[in-house]
Amino acid sequence: MKSFLSAEFVFATAQYESGDWDSAPLVPPNIIDTIARYTEIVVAPTGVVVPLSDDRVMRYPFLFLTGHLPVRFNDAERRNVKQFVDRGGLLFVDDHNHDIDGVFHKTATEEIARTVGPLVDLPNDHPLYSAFFKFDGPPTTSHELNGWGDNLVHKNLQAVLHNGRIAVLYSSKDYSSEWGYHPDSKRFQSVDNTRFAVNIVVYALTA
Amino acid sequence: MGAFALLGWLIGTSVFLPTEHRIELATAADVASRLDAWTRTSSNVPLHTQLAVTPDSGVVEWLSALRHSGHLVTWSGTPPAVAMSVEALPDPHGGARIDLSAPSDTRVEVRDEAGVIDSVSVKRLGARITSPSTVGAVTANAGAQRFGAAVTDASPIRNVVVIGAASWEGKFIASALEERGWPVTVRFSVAPNVDVTQGGASLVLDTSRVSAVIAVDTSIARYAGAIARFVRSGGGLVLAGPASLAPSVSSLAPGSLGNRVRPAVEPKDTISLGATGFYPVSSLRQDGIAIERRADGIAIAARRVGAGRVVQVGYDDSWRWRMAGGAGSVAAHREWWSRVVGSVAYRSAAPELATSDVERSAPLAWMVQQLGSARTGPPSNGPRGPLDRRIFITLIMILLLSEWASRRLRGLR
Repeated sequence: MKSFLSAEFVFATAQYESGDWDSAPLVPPNIIDTIARYTEIVVAPTGVVVPLSDDRVMRYPFLFLTGHLPVRFNDAERRNVKQFVDRGGLLFVDDHNHDIDGVFHKTATEEIARTVGPLVDLPNDHPLYSAFFKFDGPPTTSHELNGWGDNLVHKNLQAVLHNGRIAVLYSSKDYSSEWGYHPDSKRFQSVDNTRFAVNIVVYALTA
Repeated sequence: MGAFALLGWLIGTSVFLPTEHRIELATAADVASRLDAWTRTSSNVPLHTQLAVTPDSGVVEWLSALRHSGHLVTWSGTPPAVAMSVEALPDPHGGARIDLSAPSDTRVEVRDEAGVIDSVSVKRLGARITSPSTVGAVTANAGAQRFGAAVTDASPIRNVVVIGAASWEGKFIASALEERGWPVTVRFSVAPNVDVTQGGASLVLDTSRVSAVIAVDTSIARYAGAIARFVRSGGGLVLAGPASLAPSVSSLAPGSLGNRVRPAVEPKDTISLGATGFYPVSSLRQDGIAIERRADGIAIAARRVGAGRVVQVGYDDSWRWRMAGGAGSVAAHREWWSRVVGSVAYRSAAPELATSDVERSAPLAWMVQQLGSARTGPPSNGPRGPLDRRIFITLIMILLLSEWASRRLRGLR
């Protein structure tokens, strides 16, 4: 029987005026590949880049935002981010620096707190970690262990919750580096390190 | 000699009307004050009321009692034919739907015990008001005619089950209903044999626990048997977007779906419901009714299946309205989906209206039932007594003539 399912999932990367929003161009195709590989979710074969200041961000309820440099939203970006979150979208922000108190971390968390609300540690038994694959908490990345030589492992992701639902998911794990490779290279891994991305997308689509 | 005296008395009282042979007249304004006196009046006296409005139910009942005790009770006039029903909305936020019927172009003011709710001008088939809340009984005034109705009890709010593949539409339908206060159970399939569930892992569809099922797409097919049983036993089913294209549930649908309509949407357009397209109901079943029509076809249709109701919603991306709509679209999206669910949600059998509800909600119909139809005017014939007496006299006359003839003819044999 031919299936008729709802509109496809489109992986959207947020383009913001400050900083380097396009620092992880290989992440979207890799995540799209992962979603198609493990799930039946109807996913668009290519992602889109959407300016945060543009009303079109409301057409993509899942937004990925990353970078190394300071993040300062302009008024239109701030207004749209707030509206996006209030209406039920999920903004996934990943610090491409993976450091503590780096410039991206400082400025992005400030902007998020100012625009949407303060970030809190997400418990490691949150439904996000069992939305598809089972995790005991956020998977560690090779970069956070040795990238800056600080040997710091961030025990929790952080989030802004709206009515119990994750509205903003913030990661200091540097998944942007961890997942920033060509999908074909997955065959060289004993365990696919992008599996957690499935949980994020499934959570966004179902919670 | 005695018989002739009796005959003379009967003729006399027939020719000259007795003092009771009169007609008691009253209007809507004074009929209530006359009832006491009318009750003491001889049953030979016809009682007639000229009515511009239907009097209070107590007056009608009193007149009906007089009628049953032997009085000739009649009425004339053209009181407005009005009716009202008030039904509690099956919505966690409460509220009531007030349906009004009155002559066309009548202005009706509706109020409850807290004050005026709204006023509407009735057109052709009536008018409908949705009130977010009501306090006590609801009454209405159509000119001088007053009528009212009690609010029927709302059915208890039970679970809504949302079934589909993981998608924005399913997610935002569930969110909207949860935010509105509905208990929601979701079952979204994400991979073969992998479902994401919330609100309960097991899916038991029975009307004691579930108000309605919303099918977001054709993945509903695997639950078709259980859903058909659920609907026939009184449950509600919403077939959203392409869901009714699943052959196993198409027999429940009010109609079959045509190809998806895809209007052109400019990037800067503000999205409203259906602005980005929908599946039109191309052929409606005989027992299906169109609920919403658009230029490109029927967007929403409904039908009864067994004891349950099925509504077919052609919209498959109402989430865009919520996310990309204008100001207030989130609340509108919530309210809209709550209304859709409420329209099919399981309800236990409606209680029969108490007599006092009927007489207040449809006063003219109640009066006609109690007193009969209106006359063009007061009765012109006299009381029944003289008429009966005339028949009696005629019979006596015939008997006397027979007796006289018998005596006269006896000698001729």
